[in-house]
Amino acid sequence: MTKSFSLKKYKDYLYIAPAVLFVTIFFISSIIYALRLSFFEWDGFSEMTFVGFDNYLKLFRDKNFLTSLTNTIIWVGSSLVLSLALPLLFAILITKSSWATGFKNIFYFPSALSGTVGGLLMTSILSIYGLPKIVGMLGHPELVRDWLAIPYVNTFVMIVSGIWQGLGLNMLLFISGLRSIDSSPIEAAQIEGAGTFQLYTKVVFPLMKNTIVVVLLMSLVNSFKVFDNIWIMTKGGPYRTSETLALTMYEESFIRNEFGRGAAVAIVLTVIVVFVSYFNIRNSFKED
Amino acid sequence: MGKTSKKTKIIINCILSILAVIWITPVFFAVLNMFKGQVEYNKGSFWALPAGNAFADNLVYIRDNAKIFQGMLSSLLYAACGAVFAVILGTLAAYAIAHLKIKHRMFWFMVIYSGTIFPFQIYLIPIFRGYAKLGLYDTRQGMILFYTAICIPFVMFVLRNFFKGISRELSESAKLDGASDFQILIKIFAPMAKAPISVVLLSQFTFCWNDLMFGLTFTKSREIKPVMASLSLMNTGHAPAMLMACLVASLPTIFFFIFLNKNFEAGFAYTGK
Repeated sequence: MTKSFSLKKYKDYLYIAPAVLFVTIFFISSIIYALRLSFFEWDGFSEMTFVGFDNYLKLFRDKNFLTSLTNTIIWVGSSLVLSLALPLLFAILITKSSWATGFKNIFYFPSALSGTVGGLLMTSILSIYGLPKIVGMLGHPELVRDWLAIPYVNTFVMIVSGIWQGLGLNMLLFISGLRSIDSSPIEAAQIEGAGTFQLYTKVVFPLMKNTIVVVLLMSLVNSFKVFDNIWIMTKGGPYRTSETLALTMYEESFIRNEFGRGAAVAIVLTVIVVFVSYFNIRNSFKED
Repeated sequence: MGKTSKKTKIIINCILSILAVIWITPVFFAVLNMFKGQVEYNKGSFWALPAGNAFADNLVYIRDNAKIFQGMLSSLLYAACGAVFAVILGTLAAYAIAHLKIKHRMFWFMVIYSGTIFPFQIYLIPIFRGYAKLGLYDTRQGMILFYTAICIPFVMFVLRNFFKGISRELSESAKLDGASDFQILIKIFAPMAKAPISVVLLSQFTFCWNDLMFGLTFTKSREIKPVMASLSLMNTGHAPAMLMACLVASLPTIFFFIFLNKNFEAGFAYTGK
């Protein structure tokens, strides 16, 4: 009796064992390895030398890293505005239009493509004879140049062109949020004579608070991790001016063979993302 | 939602129509230009109608020079295997965490879920080194194993939420009838979870298909490279072929977009990672 009981207990763990094993081997051990590597200097071939916190200290004195950190903050900051305000505006307009399903599909469609494809399409359109030429014909000949090749400006060009692909998912979440709210408080406010603006800021948005918080935290976490678009559109250049932390990590490790430095950048990025994710996770497990 | 006056509705329809045209333009741009020759395009004819028809030449170019179709076959293998294996292992784990007698279920949940919390970039160096040592670098097995691993946490997360919603009485009464835990999962839980399982299957397939970073880092040879990595390495001097390759490489995900759209309205919410 006791024997079969303990066997049964052991059997239940077999269900989670493969998943736990995969995650431990691939991800948890990776974090530990990267953390250890960040304290060493290593080119990938010769002996590893222990350097303590040197990699980290050097990073914060490195111009490229500071540019990359600034760019990351710009990406995150603008995505906060763009991933909330614009999709919300689109969602409101769509729910009030006469062709909601069609519009929804059109604006969501680019999100079904990969970041690589989106980046390549945008690169072609933003090169000299594409959009710049049209702007030139509209009376701004000084703007006819490759926008992605202008240092520091290109980060903003990428952020704005990223709206094309980035808007869809959040818009969809907001549409379903708008549709699921109870209509009686809105009708009551309308009877009392609230204007459209007031109606939204005082009644609708507070009712959608949960959706807004979920979208905000999700976008925040994701904006730290942008890689594909930047890699395709500028490769972090020219002269490493449009790198973000994700790109810098890749550049240091796989282009420059500075694996210790790359790992240090990855750890800095991880610390920031885990800090932000903490709020995200706490929010999604409120009910547990 | 409140009533909208007719005039406001017309204005809103107009604004959205203009935006919709802008939204379609990049795809239209790609379709227009994939019929052009390399020289014609590079002379600056971006927005004009194609002068000749270089469609067939471009198709041959993306097949032979850029190896896009080979990349698509590789990606199909990696994404299909990765998504299916992950769904199987993720479902088992989700079922156990939601319904079986496991101690510290929240701890085990967090162990598996932790795979999605960290920025994926941190996995690049360690797995690249590990793969190089174990001979998995630049192999099909290596790619399948990796995509399986990276999809597991998300599958487990979605299905655990679903399984938690199924009442315990159901599994307990089945147990009284003599069904084993595994039979309950296969005969009762899995059929009930058909919709979420299909959604995660498609969303994880799409995630693997669309991945660039890992495909680029863990492979070297053209035969092994997944499609997005091959696409990113294409010669940008031949834009018409590149734009054609973009459209061709997107066909499966566009197909799923239409399919998901028809079948699961709510499915979209799951596709974000």
